[in-house]
Amino acid sequence: MWDLGPEYPLDPVIRAAFSLSSPSVQMPWVCSQVGGVALPAERTASVPTMTEGDAHMTNRNTDNGRRSRRAAPLAAIGLAAAALLTACSSSSSTPTTTTAPPGGTLSADNAAFLAADLKAPAGSLNASGSTFVQPFFTSAFYAYTGKNQGLQVNYQGVGSGAGITAFQTGTVAFAASDVPMGASDLAKMPANAGPVVQIPDILGGVTISYNLPGVSARLKLDGPTLAGIFDGTITMWNAAQIAALNPGVTLPAHAITPEVRADSSGTTYIFTDYLKSANPTTWTLGTSKTIAWPSAAVQTPKNSGVAASIKATPYSIGYVELSYAIQNKFSYAAIKNAAGNFVVPSLNTVAADANQKTSVSATDFSIVNAPGATSYPISGYSWAILLQKQTSDTTGAQVVKVLDWTTHTGGGQDLAAGLDYVALPPAVQNQNRTQLLTVTGTTGQALLTK
Amino acid sequence: MTVVDPAVGAGPRRSRGFRLPDNGYRAALAVAAAAVAALAAWFLVSIVIQAKPAFSTLGFSWIFQKVWDPGHGRYGLLPFILGTLEVTAIAVVLAVPIGLGAALALAYLVPRHTRSALSTTVELLAAIPSVVYGLWGLVVLAPVFRNYVEPFLSSALGWTGLFNGPNQGVGLLLAGTILFVMILPTMVAISRDVLAVVPNEQVEGAMALGATRWQVLRKVVVPGARTGLLGAFTLATGRALGETVAVALVIGNSPYIAHSIKSPAATIPSLIVNNFGESTGTELSVLFGAGLVLLVIGIAVNSVARWLVWSTAGSNVGAAAR
Amino acid sequence: MTVATSLPADPIMERRHAVQAAAAASLGRRKLGSRVAIGICWAFLGIAIVPLVAVVVYVVAKGLPAWNPDFFTHSTVPEGISGGGVWNAIVGTMVITAISIAVTVPLGLVVGLFLAESDGRMAAALRFTADVMTGVPSITVGIFGYIAIVRNYGYSGFAGAFAIGFIMLPVIVRAGETAFRGVPRSLNEAALALGARRATIARRVVVPTALPGVITGVLLAVARGLGETAPLLLTIGGNQYLQWNPSKQMASLPTLIYNYSSQPYADLVQVAWGAALLLMTVVLVLSIGSRVLAARLGKERR
Repeated sequence: MWDLGPEYPLDPVIRAAFSLSSPSVQMPWVCSQVGGVALPAERTASVPTMTEGDAHMTNRNTDNGRRSRRAAPLAAIGLAAAALLTACSSSSSTPTTTTAPPGGTLSADNAAFLAADLKAPAGSLNASGSTFVQPFFTSAFYAYTGKNQGLQVNYQGVGSGAGITAFQTGTVAFAASDVPMGASDLAKMPANAGPVVQIPDILGGVTISYNLPGVSARLKLDGPTLAGIFDGTITMWNAAQIAALNPGVTLPAHAITPEVRADSSGTTYIFTDYLKSANPTTWTLGTSKTIAWPSAAVQTPKNSGVAASIKATPYSIGYVELSYAIQNKFSYAAIKNAAGNFVVPSLNTVAADANQKTSVSATDFSIVNAPGATSYPISGYSWAILLQKQTSDTTGAQVVKVLDWTTHTGGGQDLAAGLDYVALPPAVQNQNRTQLLTVTGTTGQALLTK
Repeated sequence: MTVVDPAVGAGPRRSRGFRLPDNGYRAALAVAAAAVAALAAWFLVSIVIQAKPAFSTLGFSWIFQKVWDPGHGRYGLLPFILGTLEVTAIAVVLAVPIGLGAALALAYLVPRHTRSALSTTVELLAAIPSVVYGLWGLVVLAPVFRNYVEPFLSSALGWTGLFNGPNQGVGLLLAGTILFVMILPTMVAISRDVLAVVPNEQVEGAMALGATRWQVLRKVVVPGARTGLLGAFTLATGRALGETVAVALVIGNSPYIAHSIKSPAATIPSLIVNNFGESTGTELSVLFGAGLVLLVIGIAVNSVARWLVWSTAGSNVGAAAR
Repeated sequence: MTVATSLPADPIMERRHAVQAAAAASLGRRKLGSRVAIGICWAFLGIAIVPLVAVVVYVVAKGLPAWNPDFFTHSTVPEGISGGGVWNAIVGTMVITAISIAVTVPLGLVVGLFLAESDGRMAAALRFTADVMTGVPSITVGIFGYIAIVRNYGYSGFAGAFAIGFIMLPVIVRAGETAFRGVPRSLNEAALALGARRATIARRVVVPTALPGVITGVLLAVARGLGETAPLLLTIGGNQYLQWNPSKQMASLPTLIYNYSSQPYADLVQVAWGAALLLMTVVLVLSIGSRVLAARLGKERR
């Protein structure tokens, strides 16, 4: 079971199991979901969605003391959750088979590797890239230096593209990018650099946040409606398509102001990847970090700019990264996933989406619109990039150990939930380690050791 | 002012430590000037080299095309050129009269003991980082514009056809206003200094002739400070043309030609800052080309300003002016 | 003396009365016009002050809560850790600005002097170049710094100082030239008549007389240099740790404000506003301090 982090409120599944604060009506609903029966859309409209669980998260901001780093895994809860899921699934299949937890299991020698990671040679590293991972990386590296006391990592969020450029010119030890380096980026690497290792370092979700005065219920939207809003074909809030998804909600007769990114962004990529996946024929604006949005859309740079713009503009709707939406207490929509359920973005539902497809790689990295009853469809990884053939043993050892520590439970991943990031599924963590084990030093020796 | 070269046979020279001979002095000045010229040339050459691929592959027509869609290989700079000019125009149209008026007040009307404090207060506006202006504009001013200013202006001036479209808050008007606030301290501070050094004799002479205070200001002081005011105007316009971060936050970044003063738009600096980090290849050199176009615009604006000043100079009022 | 009958019409007196009436009317009109125009000037001064008060109040309200002793003495820490500050950014800004000032102010003032004294075509071209340089967007300056220095030598404080210096230089040149031109020719000629050399005139006459204007120009340039973000974003690389060495990556207050203000976490945003307030205060102190200096050193003309 993946580690949920110390402050993270219990998943409704688990809460229901322990009858903490949610209505017991959730229990049978959850069990029948896990059993593989997807609830039809009308049913979910009357059943409470995962909103109640999310309310706990907004209380976090008022208590700063709880936000200090505590790496204690909730082993007991994890076991109980595993037991619950096992029980639920076994209620509709053979009682004696046990199902592997979604997302895989962490390899048994994880602790040994982590201990060795903390013994990296002393020194300092420079890294740069995605602004999305900056808060997470900064916290993780700070915690790492706190334990290791010799190695400092200076990570700067200059943008995925600038990070890749810095990596191509050798200015940084490793880079971070929301979209892995593609063929054209790899072609620009110096000829003698050798192959490039790219591993996912954290998970994130993209919320559809909105500012709709007078509407307190959570909106439900789906792929075609979102495509219509953002390509300009649906222009009014009380349009038929939106009203059909939200019966019983009085939508205002006002124009929609779409809020989008002005700058090139991985968040845009994930969002348009989802739109394309949900609307293969009708979404024509493409999948890219930069999109030619229609003129009615207001473009603001950076997630924070879009967030501020949504907050300041009534009747607006835009796509904002999950941590921004949670931290700023936005209203965000429940999106219909591939299984037909309207899912509210949360750390859990993003993880559920990622668990559906754990064999990701730099050439096959899209996880949007994954199957699964509780998957939140607009999710994506962010990637760390390093050279496979390191030219300095010291730097190489530092890089692989820091990245190994950061991308595993028991190390940096424990800090994710506290910052509203989603930890990597264990199967992905195992794959990362396998990849990092292929990184060699000057004599061809593997740099990552136990 | 031309200075007469002292005759070679001037009297005995006292040497207290190293004294720079006149030729050395001129040489030193010339070297410094050459260094600055070299820096400017280095800058120009660098940008041109980076921009060259864009022109060699796309020609020159892309500068005047309207569609910006790098995903499909279409680069059109016209919306950004127009946006830059429009937002600068709004800022300058507001800043020149208000800045000049405030500078006149500071130089001639304000009581002497408060002059320093008030001048410092206005100059403090220059101390605020541009990102703060951008955030203040987005968070504080945009709602005010959307709810009060734009509806008011639309109803009062809608007949001009310049105020069509929805009231969104962000757009040319807001960006122009923020820019106006940002260039105001430059305009006021330099104008104030220039206006203050118009020779007393001229001011007193005009008053002796029976001119009212305003007539003195308008007919003697301002013309007398004309060149310096041009300098203030140039610096202020330069800042407005080149402002990046604050504009990017409040202009709406819409890569389409604005159809009203309220519309969202985009400027060349905002285009560059939004796309530079992620662009490669042709798009990157297109961005450099856009920077080059902005340089050309700056040159054009400066030339027009100079021409305006020279053509209305009239008699050479004021010894301090050229 | 004849009694009561009015004097015969005197064309000269009548003409004089007419002229006096016209003059009085004109004076009345001109006085009214003057009052209105002067009133507008005062109003404009008020308009210039209003946004300042609004922004300052906003920055103080948002930034003051961030100020505590740790803020000024500790380096930055990640989200959720307490006791952090902006000391590394303060050091970075100080070092970078100091290097920029040390190079740009003497160079710019010397060139300003050159332009004030020369009228040739070269001088006109250089003046024009300086004017155009002030209009270069800060992001383009940053890109130039990136191409010129970072690509060859990596991110560093020197690259940042180069970019900031490029922005400050034309402001100092133009403002300096404007100030130097404001020195009355009579002073120059008197010094020449006394047999002084040009260097001496420059040092003893022109610069001291122009000092208030020079200080204003330098101050404006420094204020702009302190607040510029885009050039630093592309040249200094950033650093979460304390770094005094300008040949390495450094932090700075403007880039910190830019990065932190776009974070989702409220305490980091708070730090950004605290840093913005700090920048503003630094420039205020500089401004007041330089005025005091100018009052002592130079001659206030008015």
